[in-house]
Amino acid sequence: MAGVVSSLPVKASIPRRATTEPLWVKIVLISALVVFFGLFLVFPLFIVFKEALSKGMGVFLKTFEDSATAHAVWLTLIVAAIAVPLNTAFGIAAAWCVTRFQFFGRSLLISLIDLPLWVSPVVAGLIYVMTFGAQGWAGPWLKEHGIQVIFATPGLVLATVFVTFPFVARSLIPLMQAQGHKEEEAAMTLGANGWHILWRVTLPKIKWGLIYGIILCNARAMGEFGAVSVVSGHIRNKTNTMPLHIEILYNEYQFAAAFAVASVLSILALVSLAVKTYAEWKTDQQLREASDI
Amino acid sequence: MSIEISDISKTFGKFAALNSVGFRVNSGELVALLGPSGSGKTTLLRIIAGLEFAERGQVFFNGNEVTDRSAYQRKAGFVFQHYALFQHMNVFENIAFGLRVRPRRERPTESEIKERVARLLEAVQLESFAKRLPAQLSGGQRQRVAFARALAIEPEVLLLDEPFGALDAKVRRELRTWLRKFHDVTHLTSLFVTHDQEEAFEVADRVIIISEGAVQQIGTPEEVRTAPANEFVEKFLDLYSVPA
Repeated sequence: MAGVVSSLPVKASIPRRATTEPLWVKIVLISALVVFFGLFLVFPLFIVFKEALSKGMGVFLKTFEDSATAHAVWLTLIVAAIAVPLNTAFGIAAAWCVTRFQFFGRSLLISLIDLPLWVSPVVAGLIYVMTFGAQGWAGPWLKEHGIQVIFATPGLVLATVFVTFPFVARSLIPLMQAQGHKEEEAAMTLGANGWHILWRVTLPKIKWGLIYGIILCNARAMGEFGAVSVVSGHIRNKTNTMPLHIEILYNEYQFAAAFAVASVLSILALVSLAVKTYAEWKTDQQLREASDI
Repeated sequence: MSIEISDISKTFGKFAALNSVGFRVNSGELVALLGPSGSGKTTLLRIIAGLEFAERGQVFFNGNEVTDRSAYQRKAGFVFQHYALFQHMNVFENIAFGLRVRPRRERPTESEIKERVARLLEAVQLESFAKRLPAQLSGGQRQRVAFARALAIEPEVLLLDEPFGALDAKVRRELRTWLRKFHDVTHLTSLFVTHDQEEAFEVADRVIIISEGAVQQIGTPEEVRTAPANEFVEKFLDLYSVPA
């Protein structure tokens, strides 16, 4: 091959590749992107932190001493701590089902997993009010047994679970499809039961995809506003999560406090983004390895 | 341990993959399941291992029916064409896997595991590779790890699905010779699937020729070559012996 190439007349200049755009197009496109990012993402994020600290570090920290704010942070953590593990388990089970078995209604199930992404969160909230609220379908029964779902923590958890359901399942399905299940079969012939296969083979295989899904799920669980807003009732010190509390503070003209709480959510988002990017990079690597074999 | 199957049938949708297949592999034999691709031989091997289930028919190990037992109860050593090594475990852990997942009472101690894995690494000539990950090995090395892993659980039968299919010609021949030698020492009942008649005739004690989901002929390489049972066998063998 090398001989063939060297026998051709050699040109000194680098040949222009057909796909390369003229320089000015590159400059225009890249600057448009940078301006857009700056204007609609970086600048607003900067404003959040600037406003949060506008009255000094003292006021910023004092915001979190307020019992209603502290409770909102606490409640958000509780709701996420219940919803995220639930959806992690559901997500693994769902991804396992649709990638391992062929059954009637499989593609319908895959579409249903996506449903929460298509439905407006407000509708999701209303569904639960209709089902578990005082006037709802299960309302009388719940009341009789002294269980309150709507305008209480269980309602917040339900709404959050609904909204964040797709993230883990969706990040696992393509990965598990690409990896196939030869390793699980091998484990089976070596005498491993289902439990051993899950913990020693499947979970290590999907680890990075799973972390990616959990991070995304968690970010959405803590930041969810719409669905939670409908079922919450906005009772301070009782059913107010961080996003709801931010709105209340803002409506009460407590801008510094509102932005202070918002900045905490933003930091959470930035950390999630960093971990997500790393997990994404690792998942890509695994996908490439899976296609190598 | 002998393997016996009788009247095995399996369909995929409308396609009859296996149609009333039956044969016996005697204890200590090395038998090749030979046939063109799509003949149903891999499906049959998977049914024997318990990775797939037939719609009809029975599987016996040593005269005991295992038809309804799952793969992890049958514990037949299985070697996959594409190795199916655990990517996140090093060579040592891959081989030790079958021992580590045993119920506590039957599980060997850590030092016993170390000793047994070391012996297996020696048997497949990979002593210095214990710490490597599968991704850092060549195809031939990976397949040897897969052998060692299947042997670690001390199976009484060894099932091999196109074990040399993904390897280049030279490594293929080496591993083939190794397998025959290994069998001569251990006399482990083995059944291997191949579409390569040269491979089957060189390695196996007996050959089972299968096509379109049915057994065409069973016999020693000599018998099959000198007295092909039907037109298919004759054609199938000719096809490969006449140089193109």
